[in-house]
Amino acid sequence: MLSVKGLKANVGDKEILRGLDLEVAPGEIHAIMGPNGSGKSTFAHVLSGREGYEVTAGSAKLDGTDLFELEPEERARLGLFLAFQYPVELPGVNNMYFLKAALNAIRKSRGEDEFDAVSFMRLMKEKLKVLHLDDSLLKRPVNFGFSGGEKKRNEIFQMAMLEPKLAILDETDSGLDIDALRIVADGVNALRSPERSMIVVTHYQRLLDYIEPDYVHVLAKGQIIRSGGKELALELEEKGYGWIVDGEAA
Amino acid sequence: MSAATNSSRQQTEAAEAFAGWLHDLGEAASPAGTGVDAESAQGWLAAERQQAAERLRAQAVPTGKSESWRYTGLRSLIDQGFIQVDEPLSALTPEDIEEVLVPGLDAHRAVLVNGRYSASLSELGTLPRGVRVGSLSQMLESDPDALQGVLTRLAGEGSHLFAALNTAAMQDGLVLLLERGALLERPIEIIHLSVGMEEPRVAQPRHLISLGDGAQAQVIERYISLGDALYCTNSVLEIALGRDARLTHARLQQESPNAFHITSLYLSQDANSHYAGVNIGLGGIWARTDLVTRFSGEHAECDLQGLYLAGDKQLIDYHMDVRHGLPNCSSRERFKGILYGKGRAVFDGLVYVARDAQKTDAAMSNRNLILSENAEVDTKPQLEIYADDVKCSHGTTVGQIEPEALFYLRSRGISASLARRMLCLGFAGEIIDALDSEALRDYVTEQVGDRLERAPLD
Repeated sequence: MLSVKGLKANVGDKEILRGLDLEVAPGEIHAIMGPNGSGKSTFAHVLSGREGYEVTAGSAKLDGTDLFELEPEERARLGLFLAFQYPVELPGVNNMYFLKAALNAIRKSRGEDEFDAVSFMRLMKEKLKVLHLDDSLLKRPVNFGFSGGEKKRNEIFQMAMLEPKLAILDETDSGLDIDALRIVADGVNALRSPERSMIVVTHYQRLLDYIEPDYVHVLAKGQIIRSGGKELALELEEKGYGWIVDGEAA
Repeated sequence: MSAATNSSRQQTEAAEAFAGWLHDLGEAASPAGTGVDAESAQGWLAAERQQAAERLRAQAVPTGKSESWRYTGLRSLIDQGFIQVDEPLSALTPEDIEEVLVPGLDAHRAVLVNGRYSASLSELGTLPRGVRVGSLSQMLESDPDALQGVLTRLAGEGSHLFAALNTAAMQDGLVLLLERGALLERPIEIIHLSVGMEEPRVAQPRHLISLGDGAQAQVIERYISLGDALYCTNSVLEIALGRDARLTHARLQQESPNAFHITSLYLSQDANSHYAGVNIGLGGIWARTDLVTRFSGEHAECDLQGLYLAGDKQLIDYHMDVRHGLPNCSSRERFKGILYGKGRAVFDGLVYVARDAQKTDAAMSNRNLILSENAEVDTKPQLEIYADDVKCSHGTTVGQIEPEALFYLRSRGISASLARRMLCLGFAGEIIDALDSEALRDYVTEQVGDRLERAPLD
């Protein structure tokens, strides 16, 4: 599904990603862990097309399509979804209107009929039920005045509505207390399917207690320096990042 | 020749041209030449016209040095050589105006065509007790006494040139009179329809709205045209609110893209009265609005809000003059603007608090969203405070669409152009939401969305 080869990227003059390789097959969940400044968020942003990064080498293909040839909205229509670490507040933009515009943009690009108000509402109710959410967030402007937990729940709800092929969760656990974390993780788990892949970017092992990955990768200094199963996350929790990162450097 | 001399020569030329234009219009506006019947017993009005014409002659013609016209040049207006509309236009049928109506808006409707009241296009319906609505020229014929001492009272002294010109030249307009305690439940919609003529014409409608003590009304005032004709509207409104009266007033300026538009609104509020005005400025190539408020009793509230969109070649100018001369009144001015292409806007708001106006509560804000490098806004909120126990604030911002917000929407599959439009509408939404009719909110949202859709936002 996702194939990243030799990816290098700069922010300004500084090289952040220094030759990153990653293969994600359908239905797999990959966790990317690493210390602060290792390039985790940069990787998520570069894949989704945020401005401010320059890709200097390598490629990223989603089902064979080169992501770097596409605008952010085209990547989303192809099935890429980024759950933001810091979801943006959009005062004055109604959440429901926003979701309907997003969903219809994606459907239109696939040659599907746009949803009318009735079928949109039906789908929305169905997804709310799956995620055990109420509709109180929908009538408000997007993320505006939301608590940290509400923002992250809104991200997961958008993911449920847009049904991506590949979801990247960027530090979804940051700023959440344990109850909020559980709600968000339950949502993510409800969206697991044999066709949908996920990349979970996180600093802490904690999130992986709730979202169990198939693979764990350690990112340091812009490269994946170790990959393993979910037991690798536990080892990191116990020993910290130092032993791998320093070992690599030595 | 130095640039300074050159520029001062140009200003002199502009001033002379303007004086000539005013003179011609003033001549055309002598009482005998107007639609208002000079035969009837209106000596008082003839005197008012005479005084206004004298004020026009005496007043210095504004140049670029004149503070209130500093950012709004008059040259392009003068160069059009607008002449007074003479004959009423009667060829329109109700079908012709259907396309400009607000869908689903239930209102008593008064229609003026090129500044003249059209009985055949208006649908006033049944009016409640104590409410009079009608044509100014008709009322001057049938019941001039009801207007004496009321008409021209607020717009009289200290008014600017265009208001004086209107007084000298007014032909018709709408009169809305509510007796003490009268309640107008359905809104009254005043549609100013402009139709292009062979020569560029100026229409000078004059409206009078007077609410007796405790009366309540909603007024929706719209300026709109069929097609993209070149014309000028120079309108004056005098609005007097009695004690405890309440008026909500939506103003939609949707003139043709080639039109020149001038509105001077004079508002007087007695004790405990409440005025809520929402000004939506979308049309015209050159539009100037002056909103002037005075309080004649304590504990009155004046709420002025506005939204303007100025695109290529457009100039939209809002001037406000809110004067707190008595204690315990509150005023709020909240205006938002979206500028794109080579669009220009001017916001000039003055709140004056006299020494005796203690406990005044005044807040003024002007926020602008600029979507292109060539757009420009001159914003000048001013507080002049001579009382020492007041709560006054002002703020102004000029910003751009935030890249973070744009990326967030695009990352959800929404195109860059729709994302920009959604963010602009989100910005405008706060003002649109202040309109107190759902049909009107939907209509304005659609109009603003259409404008943004056609705008080069990239």
